[in-house]
Amino acid sequence: MLAEGLNGLLGHTALIIGFAASLFGALALIAAIRLRNERLIKTVMPYGWLALGGAVLAVVVMERGLITRDWQLAYVQRVGSRDTPALFNFTALWSALEGSILLWLLLLAVYTAIIMHRYRARLADPLVGWALVVMFFVTAFFFFLALGPTDAFRAGATPDFTACCKGPNPLLQNHVLVLFHPPILYLGYVGFTVPFAFAIAALVTGRVGEGWLVETRRWALFAWGFLTVGIVLGGWWSYEVLGWGGVWGWDPVENASFLPWLTGTAYIHSVMVQERRGMLRVWNLSLLVATFSLTILGTFLTRSGVVNSVHAFSDSTIGPFLLGAFGVVVLVSLGLIAWRGDRLRSPGAIDSPISREGAFLANNVLLALFAFVILLGTVFPLIVEAKDNRKIAVGSPFFDTMSQPIGLVLLFLMAVAPALPWRKASGELLRDRLFWPAWCGAGTLALSVFLGATGLAPLLAFTFAGFAGGASIRQLVLATRRQGYRGLLGRTNGGMVVHLGVIIIAVALAASNSYTRSAEFTVMKGETVSFAGHTFTVLDVVDFTTPRTVGIKAEISIDGGQAYAPAISKYTAFGMDVPTPSVKSSFVEDIYLTLENGSKPSTGEAKIKVFIKPMVVWLWVGGMLCAFGTLLAAFPGKNRRRPTDAVSAPIPLDEVSSV
Amino acid sequence: MIAASSVKRWPGWVLLVFVVAGCLAYGVTRDAGARTPEERVEEISKQLACPICNGETVYESRNTASASIRAEIKNQVSATDASDDAIIAYIVQQFGAKTQLLPRASGFESLVWVIPGVALVCAGVGLFFSFRKWRTNVDTVPDAADRARVDAALAAEDAAAAEEPAS
Repeated sequence: MLAEGLNGLLGHTALIIGFAASLFGALALIAAIRLRNERLIKTVMPYGWLALGGAVLAVVVMERGLITRDWQLAYVQRVGSRDTPALFNFTALWSALEGSILLWLLLLAVYTAIIMHRYRARLADPLVGWALVVMFFVTAFFFFLALGPTDAFRAGATPDFTACCKGPNPLLQNHVLVLFHPPILYLGYVGFTVPFAFAIAALVTGRVGEGWLVETRRWALFAWGFLTVGIVLGGWWSYEVLGWGGVWGWDPVENASFLPWLTGTAYIHSVMVQERRGMLRVWNLSLLVATFSLTILGTFLTRSGVVNSVHAFSDSTIGPFLLGAFGVVVLVSLGLIAWRGDRLRSPGAIDSPISREGAFLANNVLLALFAFVILLGTVFPLIVEAKDNRKIAVGSPFFDTMSQPIGLVLLFLMAVAPALPWRKASGELLRDRLFWPAWCGAGTLALSVFLGATGLAPLLAFTFAGFAGGASIRQLVLATRRQGYRGLLGRTNGGMVVHLGVIIIAVALAASNSYTRSAEFTVMKGETVSFAGHTFTVLDVVDFTTPRTVGIKAEISIDGGQAYAPAISKYTAFGMDVPTPSVKSSFVEDIYLTLENGSKPSTGEAKIKVFIKPMVVWLWVGGMLCAFGTLLAAFPGKNRRRPTDAVSAPIPLDEVSSV
Repeated sequence: MIAASSVKRWPGWVLLVFVVAGCLAYGVTRDAGARTPEERVEEISKQLACPICNGETVYESRNTASASIRAEIKNQVSATDASDDAIIAYIVQQFGAKTQLLPRASGFESLVWVIPGVALVCAGVGLFFSFRKWRTNVDTVPDAADRARVDAALAAEDAAAAEEPAS
């Protein structure tokens, strides 16, 4: 074991300072709230800045260690190498468990500091105070993880350069998306800590009315937006580097990011029912608790080695701590909800299932069911192993079978719900409002059949997507006709833009999953093969070497035009083959070329695989639209209602009594 | 407004139903075209788990175990006229139960199919009873006293707003 170097010392010091600062911050704030001591509250701010400073310093020191190749650090030995390019050396910070906890910690400390700064004038308000206490405790917990179970600054053994220091996993050093996908996804995960903290604060202070919701609605929205973009970027990355042409494989780590997305999506819908009608209080609290605890549980499942996946990092001792934290979060939250049960009883009633709130309720039940099914499928192999001591796999066929019907019903709800008024809808009203959206659905169906689509599930998906798209556009047209460009702003209208994004993603997924054509060819240099209406001419097959890889590259002209160059590289330090697909994209279809093992440059023989995947580009377009819509939704709309404003025309008394 | 749009009355909707039903019937029943052998191999290999690397399908996985299973599927597809399901059953039998990606619908493993169904039924029943409870609780009709209270609150708020025009 090497002696602790400067970076190790600095890193540990930063983490200890940060841990102490967040713990003292939490304790001082609790004392200040209990004693109603204004002066003590003023001492809390420096703790928050100190915790942020600790987290920033720890990350900076680790980056310094990576950049200067400080082999004294065990972590640098694991993920650093002498010849990793600068970009991937920078992103190596989050290419293994210890460093990714540092990234998590940094984002958490940033969120905590922003909350503290934003509400600095209101820290004496117990609701804000307790929320900050929760943030401090969560930050302290992650500082503790970074200090103990996942110590990134541990001194390493004397490096043996024949065996160690190979750099990050090859898949984490061959595409620029490694710079964006993990941090953006983490911004989403960590962001849900803020609404969770306010939910706990609402329970502790007993102010379980709608005030805390208003404080956090934008935080939840931004966290949701980041999570969405992070997931879409993950799909894009997988498409670009894995070489099997897919964007989603129902891998446990992917599921772990999808679970909080589902409960978060449910929350940002049902929160509107609470704001409008004061109902579903326990449900909304539970959704936030579920979202936060699912991020912890997901981290546990995928980072402790209990579930194997392509993403999982190596085994570590972090498991029991994360599981413990999950247990504490769930128990404390349930305890608080039970304790405040009397105040949580909602005063209102939902008059009719055929109403906006009825649709939100149905959407919530479906999203919760969806999350439950995916959680069950993800942990089921563990249950079987614990019971029968045999390994089984639950994979994409199961998840596809389950998600198809749920997804279709959700699409249908997206079509009907925007047209539904609050409280109660009449048949005439629906007949009128849904007419053109329904014809949009019928038109989409007719168009897709005309273009050659087959199969019940994709056709239903296209129909409902057209219907839902029509409903969203109808809402946007009505709003912009009334208010001009401002009709795009606000939660309802921005939400419709997000809906359009989600609908586009659903269509693109249905089309690209159902109608992919593929074939494999062995082609000699100079020869042409044709498949699915395209010709592929192999212009050249060559060997190439880079400092870290040896590989084979083919140059293939598609339809006699520009040459595309799929390659396959072997990272010599790892002995691992990494494909580099080459994709010709258009708005109609992607032509996805991969070079397979067995190609021989010496004889000019190329083994190529061709995928024709329709509409893939629209996945990324839909993702961008989701991000854009989230931004629009964060702006206040024009007609903000006062809480006392009537939410709909009063229902005549005779009609009510006849219900 | 509703009366003005007579096109949206029932003839328009009936036509819509016919168009949708017709397109669906035609689209679902028509032949999807022949699949290439590679596409059959792909579809089959997506239904099988790589036996040594938990969490990946034979289709995604790049290791030798999966490569040999893919080769066997290819062989079955080209040399026999067995159906996809028969080939999957054959592979599971040849390469062991670990390659079974879809949990079986019998024994303990059937729970993974049964529990979601039970959850759906529970959610449906829960919703049904919630709505019934809400329906019978229609004492939420505001009476004169409620209306007076709301009017007073609104008046108080308007008065407060009038005092603070700056905000």
